[in-house]
Amino acid sequence: MTPPPAESVAALIRPAPVARDSQVNRDLLRVMDGVSLGYFAVLALALGFMFAAGGVWIYQVYRGLGIAGYAHPIFWGAYIVTFVFWVGIAHAGTLISAILYLFRAKWRNAINRSAEAMTVFAVLTAAQFLGIHVGRIWKSYFILPYPNQRALWVNFKSPLLWDTFAITTYATISIIFFYVGLIPDLAIARDRSTGWRRALYTVLSLGWQGTARQWKSHNRTVLHLSGLATPLVLSVHSVVSWDFAMSIVPGWHATIFAPYFVAGAIFSGFAMVLTMMIPVRRIYGLEHIITDYHFENMSRFLLLTSLIVGYAYGAEYFMAWYSGVEAEQSSFWLRAFGPYWISTWVMISCNAIFPQILWFKKARTHVPTLFVLSVLINIGMWFERYVIIIGGLSREYDPAVWGVYTPSWPELIIVAGSFGFFCQFFLMFLKVFPVVAIAEVKEIEIHARAHGGGH
Amino acid sequence: MPQLLGVFTEPAHIAAAARRLRDRGFTDLETFSPAPFAEVDDALLPKPSGVRGWTLAGGLAGVVTGYAMTIWMANNWQIMLGGKPFSSIPPYTIIAFELTILFGGVMTLVGLLVVGRLPSFRAHKAYSARFSAEDFGLVVRCRERDVAEIDGLMREHHATEVSLVEA
Repeated sequence: MTPPPAESVAALIRPAPVARDSQVNRDLLRVMDGVSLGYFAVLALALGFMFAAGGVWIYQVYRGLGIAGYAHPIFWGAYIVTFVFWVGIAHAGTLISAILYLFRAKWRNAINRSAEAMTVFAVLTAAQFLGIHVGRIWKSYFILPYPNQRALWVNFKSPLLWDTFAITTYATISIIFFYVGLIPDLAIARDRSTGWRRALYTVLSLGWQGTARQWKSHNRTVLHLSGLATPLVLSVHSVVSWDFAMSIVPGWHATIFAPYFVAGAIFSGFAMVLTMMIPVRRIYGLEHIITDYHFENMSRFLLLTSLIVGYAYGAEYFMAWYSGVEAEQSSFWLRAFGPYWISTWVMISCNAIFPQILWFKKARTHVPTLFVLSVLINIGMWFERYVIIIGGLSREYDPAVWGVYTPSWPELIIVAGSFGFFCQFFLMFLKVFPVVAIAEVKEIEIHARAHGGGH
Repeated sequence: MPQLLGVFTEPAHIAAAARRLRDRGFTDLETFSPAPFAEVDDALLPKPSGVRGWTLAGGLAGVVTGYAMTIWMANNWQIMLGGKPFSSIPPYTIIAFELTILFGGVMTLVGLLVVGRLPSFRAHKAYSARFSAEDFGLVVRCRERDVAEIDGLMREHHATEVSLVEA
């Protein structure tokens, strides 16, 4: 046996110098450190809204759905509007994570984690409204196909059943996607934390060490989940739109609904990501990770989807006129000039007109403008669903089914509470999980360094 | 048997070192990367990941379950709805589609756990927090007499440091 050369052995036993932590780790894990008074104040506000809504909901369970503003012929009100709104918000995360991943759009790395988190929270928020809307919450399991003594099965020809399967699948897949992406980052956090955090991250990171086998199966998993989630994200809002389009209600019965809803969902989802990430970037000083370039790219998406949504508004009016169906024409006339005219014009202005300023680079790169616009778009997209759902139901074919709906105070509190529900999840997420996909940002940095380029 | 740990700063270097070691017949290798780099993983495991099979199995199970469940349930207790056939394929395709994605996604996660051998709570002796910072690690288990050769080979491939892993 040949002994190793002496100088080499000496080098081997010399203790390795302690490597300094990477800048990316420090910058991104810092977000989780400490909580300020402002954070507590916002969290308390969110929780306040959430608990107020919870209280009102318990009251509604006790009194019955009569306390909602439902009145003949309108039995789908603010709850369904808000359900569709939150399902729509949930679309940006998967779009950014899955579709942009498949297109190898590297700019997604800075925002995909927070967008995925928003997807999960928005689906959870939306799911609450199914329970709230059915009223008799203790019977909501009737929607599931379970064996029962009456040998009755659910009606799989109903769009509501499709929706159950679509939303359940979407919630499950988005949680899996979110979690799988988190595993390497949880290991980063595990290696740099103590106490309960270390215990939590140790369990959640599953003992991740970044070995070849782990990365190889992880990459393949992310690729497959992206491949599965891409058709899924397009199907979910299509199925939600079929809840309406499969009926014969004027204003709902349109073949354009699926692409129209999907574009609207991506539109509102991107707006929500901007609404949440602009303050987060500012507060935690992440300007070098989430740059104006990322916001500009997102605003391009907003502009594109705004044009699609605007086209759909136009197409709906054209088809109503061109079809010659009187009920359809009257429904659309009343949409713009009837009892819900304010909602309609809010929708058109916020979704189709205001976003046109994004044609100008100055607007796309001016963060305050983007923030205000994103909030306006969120408002506009809530009103879009309001206009479609309430506007459609309030004027069907027969004067016996004409009516006007006004949301009641319990509905408004529960709708406001849903924003609290969503925000408290997001605020806790900021403090528990890495807000940016650290490993993916690092991938780009190491790659850039190896090839002598800058980030 | 001794284990040597080489530390690298660039993925191309560690990948080249790993390939070279494999060519020299050292097959008991392990790498630690802070981020996904296909060249590093492929140097150790050239074959495509087995997660593929799990996704396929899940997807197929989903599509079969979707159609079988809807058709069987509709015929188990027949209720005529709108004059439509009991086994209406177009609406059931939506259920089958959603279950394809659902089962495929869940089985992909299972595949990650099985193929990636997770969870594994016994930490590798050579692993340290630097490999979740920016360094790459290459661990070789070898005979005593090969230590010098491997040490030289790693340094030749720009290893910033090489050390023995304590047993």
